[in-house]
Amino acid sequence: MTIPNDTVGGSGMDIHRLLDEAFAGVEMTPERQDLKEEVRANLVARVAELSAGGLSGGAAARRAIEELGDVHTMIDGAEPAGAAAATAPWQRRVRPRPDFVLRTVVLSAAGAAGLAVLALAAAVGDVPLGGEIAAGLAIAATAGAVTADTLRQETTGNHPMPAERAAAYGIGVVLAVAGLGGGWLYLRGDGLGWLIGGVAPVLAAVGLLSYLGATQTNRHKEWVVRMNESHAAVGDRFTEDPAAAARFGVYTVVTWLVAVAGFVVLTLTVGWAWSWLALVAGMVVMMLMIARMMFVPRP
Amino acid sequence: MVENIRDDSSSVDVLAADLLRGHTDTIVLAMLRRDDSYGFEIFKRIRDATGGRHEIKEATLYATYRRLMKDGLIEAYWGDESQGGRRKYYRITDAGRAVYRRNMAAWALTRDLIDSLLEADRSPGPHDPAPGR
Repeated sequence: MTIPNDTVGGSGMDIHRLLDEAFAGVEMTPERQDLKEEVRANLVARVAELSAGGLSGGAAARRAIEELGDVHTMIDGAEPAGAAAATAPWQRRVRPRPDFVLRTVVLSAAGAAGLAVLALAAAVGDVPLGGEIAAGLAIAATAGAVTADTLRQETTGNHPMPAERAAAYGIGVVLAVAGLGGGWLYLRGDGLGWLIGGVAPVLAAVGLLSYLGATQTNRHKEWVVRMNESHAAVGDRFTEDPAAAARFGVYTVVTWLVAVAGFVVLTLTVGWAWSWLALVAGMVVMMLMIARMMFVPRP
Repeated sequence: MVENIRDDSSSVDVLAADLLRGHTDTIVLAMLRRDDSYGFEIFKRIRDATGGRHEIKEATLYATYRRLMKDGLIEAYWGDESQGGRRKYYRITDAGRAVYRRNMAAWALTRDLIDSLLEADRSPGPHDPAPGR
């Protein structure tokens, strides 16, 4: 059997040419270009496997393309018409589980007791240091436990978070609250050591929570994802109409310049008691402007 | 009898493939559970996991990735290969893990139910009707 397609570049070139041929006549959209590039890398890997199995370069490339099947069916399959079975949100309602509610109430009560002890210490002042430390730790532990427990629950809009990740969020909250407790003891005059001991866990918590936030993946249910997509489609006047976005930017600057200038002038003339109204007025104008410019009534 | 079964093995294969097709989403989620992967590697993992007896068509897999991404169950990112085209890697999301766990539980239940229903006559239970009734 002769292999007519072996070019100078060998099999490495063949597969790219065959892919181009397969996509010839297909009207390219960004999604299809994306699909084509994805297919390309997979074909290269498949050709390498077939070549390692003893097939010659050109034959391996043709075999890989044949296995891929018809490009048009693949594109049709990858771009489904999309209308998903629509069940109304209230039909998907997930009620909180009774044991979760009970746990949260009990833990919150323990945390509230800790807060009460600290309030007593601040108001009356005859709570021993050990008591304040225990109260602070109780608040931190309960806050962390409630956080982790809540993230583990399935809600109407969210899937439950995996146990390790929820636990990591809980630990982050424990560290943050415990660190704040150290700061509290420093403010109460218990020495600089508490401040230093408080800053370290807060920094650790910031690091941990930032890491968790940065590596967070989707945990919304499908219907929430779709609803967000449709909402994004409604409110994107600024991407459709860049001139409106530019006008909005200018209006915003003008509004706040006037509001701040009014605030300064009123402070100097009338006094603090009334000058803040200028900022409120600025806020009101801003909100009306957002409503007016972002959500244009459809013709 | 044994010969008959051997003759029917191809139709059994077709039936098994039909049953498997309904679980493509869950199978892909299972392949991504450990670590991120790209199209051909996922294809190979599925093929190898069945000992080469079954494979899911690549075209089916591309459609599956698109659907799972639309539902927020997986996320995609491009790798940084310089040779032979960049690979599109897929990563399972928390939502994907939750759906995977739910589907696994549903499958385990279904499997047990079908096992006990189809083998009901083989292992007579305590309510076996008395002979002659």
